[in-house]
Amino acid sequence: MIEVCGLCKEFERNRRGEGKKQKVKKETFLAVDHVSLEAYEGEIIGILGPNGAGKTTLLRMLGMLMSPTEGSIVLTDEHGREIKELTEKKAAIGYLSGNTKLYPRFSVREYLQFLGELYGFDKRQIEKRSREIFKVLDMEEFVDNRIEKLSTGQTQRASIARCLMADPKVYILDEPTLGLDILSADAIIEFMREQKENGKIVLYSTHYLEEAQILCDRIYMIREGKVVAHGTPGALMARTETENLRAAFHAVYQMGDDSRAGFENDSTKEKIEGVRS
Amino acid sequence: MKKIGVLIRKELLDILRDKKTLVMMVVVPIVLYPLLIIGMTLVIGSIMSSQENAVYIIGYETGYEETAKALEEIVSRNPQEFDTEIEFISFDKEEADSMLRFADVALRFKEQENGSLQVEISYDSANQNSSYACSMIENVVELYREDLVAEGLTKQGLDESFLYPVVSTTVDSASQAESFGMDIGGSIGMMMIVMILMGALYPAIDVTAGEKERGTLETLLTLPVTNFQMIFSKFVSVAVIACVTAVLSLVSMVGSVLFLIYGLAGDPIVEMGFSISGMMSTAPVLVVTMIVSALLCSALCMCFCVFAKSFKEANNYVTPLLLVVMIASMAGMIPSVTLDAKTALIPIVNVSLMMKQVLSQQFSLALAGLCNLVNLGASALIIWVLAKMYDSENILFADGFRSFRLFQKRSDIKEGTVPDSGDLMISVTVLFLLMLYVGSAASVRLGFWGTLVSQGLILAIPLLLVWYMKSDVRTLFSLQLPKRGSVIGSILLYLGVYCLIMVLSVALTAVFPESTENVELTFSEMSKQPFVILLLVTALMPAVGEEILFRGLLFGSIRENGKKRDQERSAAVYAILISSAVFGLFHMSLVKFFTTFLLGAVFAYIVWMTGSIYVTMCLHFVNNAFSMAVMKYPQTIGKVLPFLMAEELSVPEIAGILTVGVACAVLGLILLRRSNKTIVN
Repeated sequence: MIEVCGLCKEFERNRRGEGKKQKVKKETFLAVDHVSLEAYEGEIIGILGPNGAGKTTLLRMLGMLMSPTEGSIVLTDEHGREIKELTEKKAAIGYLSGNTKLYPRFSVREYLQFLGELYGFDKRQIEKRSREIFKVLDMEEFVDNRIEKLSTGQTQRASIARCLMADPKVYILDEPTLGLDILSADAIIEFMREQKENGKIVLYSTHYLEEAQILCDRIYMIREGKVVAHGTPGALMARTETENLRAAFHAVYQMGDDSRAGFENDSTKEKIEGVRS
Repeated sequence: MKKIGVLIRKELLDILRDKKTLVMMVVVPIVLYPLLIIGMTLVIGSIMSSQENAVYIIGYETGYEETAKALEEIVSRNPQEFDTEIEFISFDKEEADSMLRFADVALRFKEQENGSLQVEISYDSANQNSSYACSMIENVVELYREDLVAEGLTKQGLDESFLYPVVSTTVDSASQAESFGMDIGGSIGMMMIVMILMGALYPAIDVTAGEKERGTLETLLTLPVTNFQMIFSKFVSVAVIACVTAVLSLVSMVGSVLFLIYGLAGDPIVEMGFSISGMMSTAPVLVVTMIVSALLCSALCMCFCVFAKSFKEANNYVTPLLLVVMIASMAGMIPSVTLDAKTALIPIVNVSLMMKQVLSQQFSLALAGLCNLVNLGASALIIWVLAKMYDSENILFADGFRSFRLFQKRSDIKEGTVPDSGDLMISVTVLFLLMLYVGSAASVRLGFWGTLVSQGLILAIPLLLVWYMKSDVRTLFSLQLPKRGSVIGSILLYLGVYCLIMVLSVALTAVFPESTENVELTFSEMSKQPFVILLLVTALMPAVGEEILFRGLLFGSIRENGKKRDQERSAAVYAILISSAVFGLFHMSLVKFFTTFLLGAVFAYIVWMTGSIYVTMCLHFVNNAFSMAVMKYPQTIGKVLPFLMAEELSVPEIAGILTVGVACAVLGLILLRRSNKTIVN
């Protein structure tokens, strides 16, 4: 499982001062502001929020690409032991975002070969795994082309293949269905479901609320770096007395700060328990 | 290790599939160099032969036909020297002023009062033919003069030896190969370095900034690879490509030169004193040097490119590097600079100097080894520091100058900021340059008191930096009082290490004999001063200043920065190594480097363990004061501790000192660790 406690990330930004000269001054702000969350095996967790809310920064910290200014991320294996070594953590996490591009001068097959060797598989294992992955993601026809020649949907499937190759315990996916056609997007949603069945943890951010509503076990809504609401999609809709997640989203973001604080508190423990049992 | 292998294979495949790199690597050396070399030689050759085939017209005023005839006769008498056609044409008095319009050179003769003939040669320096004709006619006139003199002498019944009682001729003892090496060895060294640099540059940008620009670096960083594995594999791949480029360039250059010498039907176009078989014997040294230079150039390129976010930015960063490396590599072309134990310590410069020696076939294997060792060490250091400095966040998301907080406005700097690696590098470099110029100028002007200026600089720069950064001086400089137990431990450790250093420095002086002339000069200057002042200037000031700089600023900042990503322990070890390496380099002497490095490491360790810089300030003071005392009162000290003054130590003495030293050091270490535990608890 992943247990995140009081996670913060500080960034700098410029702001014009109030005084007469209106000097531009640098100031720090928290892009991620004391976020705590947990995710268990066999769960799909949705991270929702408007642009600039801090979703990507949060996921980057979870993917071990950024180090938090404050707070901790504890990753445990199936036996409940904490994984401490950075390379082992990275090996246990499959991270995918719009920025994790693949080597354009490699073919998909070569790329997976390279990954397999890096993760320490032997030749036969690599061969077998690649063949399985190609079949599952229906990508046999383009695996020997250079990645620079692939279409958007094909590239995204190749990225998924990259994550699959390592067989990680946790998938961290930053807007994996962004800009894909319905068929490709469905393939990826299907992939996330399968991983959940296999007892993996999937953490993913998206702007497609309908997709999140049917897919996610639990949802964290983030605004200005803070978690403003969280719970199962059903619970969120019930609390806001709305019929779908889109309406619930609007309702949450229209609420004042006071009601939000209370809102988050009672939707934590019991709902997690409910999901687990 | 296996991961590094996989990564290197991937990097090489990636680089080789890039068409731009391939063009730089293969097409440029194979096509461009031969074209340039053969083309240039042919063009120059044809210009030269056209000059020789031309007919040069010499104009002169009418009335001196006889002199002209005599000159013409001299030309035809020496066909070897004047292998071109020269025609003398007379001009009337009226035309005389415009002679140069028709002729290449105009001659005007004037009878002097004493009977001699003055020849005024006018030519047009902007016209090549005219210049060439002028230099030729000068020789002709000179020969004419000699003829006339000889004629006059025979008239007087004298021999020519009357005029030339002494005749000197020069004989060049250098073999052809030697003079060849001296002539073009320097430039070959430079060309080799530049070729390697060019070869390293493109792949270095490609695997760092290029990968960042393409967005594949973020993917790479999600893989279970440590920063060191990543940077090291990139470095090796760049070096391999640089080597291949350099070898291809060298082969194609040598090939085109050979083509020029033997190619056209065995008829040499260009003659060179150059024996192929002689070159073969130095080939292994050349190959090793080339590989090591490739490593060094790749490390330097990587060092700049890792900062950059895009190709364009990387190009900007690399330009100053290119300039510096090119100028440093020109060292071989300066005639008076040769390779010795000192110049061998400067990377790049030493390669250039070594190439000159190797090509003139008079190199020492020891110096060549030293050069390569130094360059290898420099590249290893660069890569190690790079891997340490850059965690994935820095590489990916920070803009290039994040580690230079010095460039921010002071009002934007937060209270308690720790100077980052870039700030430290800048301030140490600035301090070093100031010491070199201002410090040594002050020493020349003010003599002994000039050292005060240097000492002041050492103290001032760190203080200025921490003021600007608004650092928390108490923690950064470890300004706190130590525990009593830890003080005793520190003293014991220091005494023990002092014994070891004594033995080490005797051993080092035996291996690297260094002239003590300079040292003695300053010593005599110093011993004129009263002992109290000596203590103040050479013991107290350095004890405070150097401790603040090395154990305060450097050790403190590097450790604080390291704590953010590493365990406390490894951060401290890293800080100890770096700060004492700089401490060692600061004393600018090969022998002193090892001893000061050791002493610096021990001092930094003491600061770490006791948490107090005051301890090492005192120890540093005692250390310097003691050596002052040894210098000032050698007799007295010699009586008390005779082995200190001995030039050489006998084996039992060495063994004794070593035993005492090790015992003290171990005891000190135990005490320090124990007291450190009580502090923590």
